[in-house]
Amino acid sequence: MALNTLEQQALAQLDLSEVKPFRLTDHLSFVRGASVVVVLSLWEIFGRQVNPLFLSYPSAIARAFVQLLETREFERQALGSLQVFAVGLIAALILGIALGLLMGRYRLAEYLLDPYVYALDATPRVALIPLLLLWFGLGTSSKIAIVFLSGLFPVLMNTFAGVRTVSAQLVDIGRAYGAREGKIFTKIILPAALPFVMAGIRLAVGRALIGIITAEMFTAVTGLGALLIRYSSALATDKFFVPVILLALIGVVLSGGVEKLQKRLAPWKETERAL
Amino acid sequence: MTGASDEKLIDELGLRREHRWSIYDHPNLIRGASVAVFLVLWEIYGRRIDPILFTYPTAVAVAFWKLLVSGELIRQLLVSLSALAAGFGASLVLGVILGLAMGRSRLAEACLEPHINALYATPQVALTPLLMMWLGLGFSVKVAVIFLFAFFPILINTASGAKYVSASMVEVGRAYLAPPRQILFKIVFPAALPFIMAGVRLAIGRALVGMVVAELFTAITGLGAMLSLYGNIFETAKMFVVIIVLALLGIGSIHATQWLERRLAGWKETERAVG
Repeated sequence: MALNTLEQQALAQLDLSEVKPFRLTDHLSFVRGASVVVVLSLWEIFGRQVNPLFLSYPSAIARAFVQLLETREFERQALGSLQVFAVGLIAALILGIALGLLMGRYRLAEYLLDPYVYALDATPRVALIPLLLLWFGLGTSSKIAIVFLSGLFPVLMNTFAGVRTVSAQLVDIGRAYGAREGKIFTKIILPAALPFVMAGIRLAVGRALIGIITAEMFTAVTGLGALLIRYSSALATDKFFVPVILLALIGVVLSGGVEKLQKRLAPWKETERAL
Repeated sequence: MTGASDEKLIDELGLRREHRWSIYDHPNLIRGASVAVFLVLWEIYGRRIDPILFTYPTAVAVAFWKLLVSGELIRQLLVSLSALAAGFGASLVLGVILGLAMGRSRLAEACLEPHINALYATPQVALTPLLMMWLGLGFSVKVAVIFLFAFFPILINTASGAKYVSASMVEVGRAYLAPPRQILFKIVFPAALPFIMAGVRLAIGRALVGMVVAELFTAITGLGAMLSLYGNIFETAKMFVVIIVLALLGIGSIHATQWLERRLAGWKETERAVG
């Protein structure tokens, strides 16, 4: 709304021109930046005074980061971890979605399988690591098994929940038009459950990452987890932080990627629900 | 409502629909049969395999009884549970306090957010070796790992719950001149409670994982240490006992939090506005 000249004159006479007081809440990104700078510099100052065996400091970590990235070994370990991660996760996705669809659609499958699924889902998967190492040895296969088990249940449970909430109307319409069971699966149930499946995949990525790191730390032979153990046993604290930072980055990139994929593949969310 | 005459009429006309017996009306029968078949097959198959690698249900039951009678299981369980209680309690208290602060004060949010996000993105297992370096192998390192695993879900959920308390409710409180303390405890906290409970549900599962991870690596006391020990000396049946106990703990904690959630936060606020 534009002020007319009379109003402007009146305002000028009343001398209401407001001077906005400085408030910290108007400059939140500044506060954010300042907070990071303060913490990092405190860490730097404090860290330099402490025995470097116990605590490192940001500039030393940055130096170690550059140093380690130059050696090829670091790259190889990271790639090895990611390869295992990919194989285990893909297997978990395939089986998780397949079983979730089966259990959600057929009550017989649900009742046959749900005691095991619920029990295994509630078991902390890390507890299975010693057993899996016993069965599969210290190599790649036991790591794949752990990634698989960590990723399987979030996908399975979410697919299952997604299929169960597909509205019965949609399925009935499909049937009324003579769609076969296969068509109902691929054209109705899967698309309707997709938002749930994607949410499950997001969970699975995080859990699988924890699974593989724990397994690698426990076997301590190859991979980023093994590097963590190696550097911490050698009391090389500055180097220790390098895989930690790299793992955080991998986690952020992966979950960001899945989020993008989710928006791409399942932008809709079914709102009307009926069992 | 059908009266006596209606019933007679239905009988006369032969309209009574017989409810045929269906297996689907007795899901527990299917579940029980599934579990029974599984256990029998496991028993038969397991007896044929080298007991170092695999075991069978009756051997697990015997091992369970032995561990129970010797008191070892109870002793280690108590050690684990006390670490769990201490770590989880600390994360609950600190998570709710910091979460409320972050949700209600934009300044606090801006100060803490970058650090919280960075730490949350890091897979917490990766920090376990560092914590072991700092805190040794005893009780305190377990508490710290459990705290780290459980803290973030509680903090993040509390913060988003406190942030999205509907502004109109806070304004009504303010209009009646409620002091800030009362607004916090009588309006914001109850409104954020469903979110907090959802965080608690996530956190308890992660706390259990943290407990097992810490005990696997320190390998001195607790259920995780038992796993690691029996894995190393190939006592597979005893390993299964520990895994089953952990599974029961997981199931128990899920049910306990669900019950608590229903008791404490039966309502869910629907009307939301960013304050």
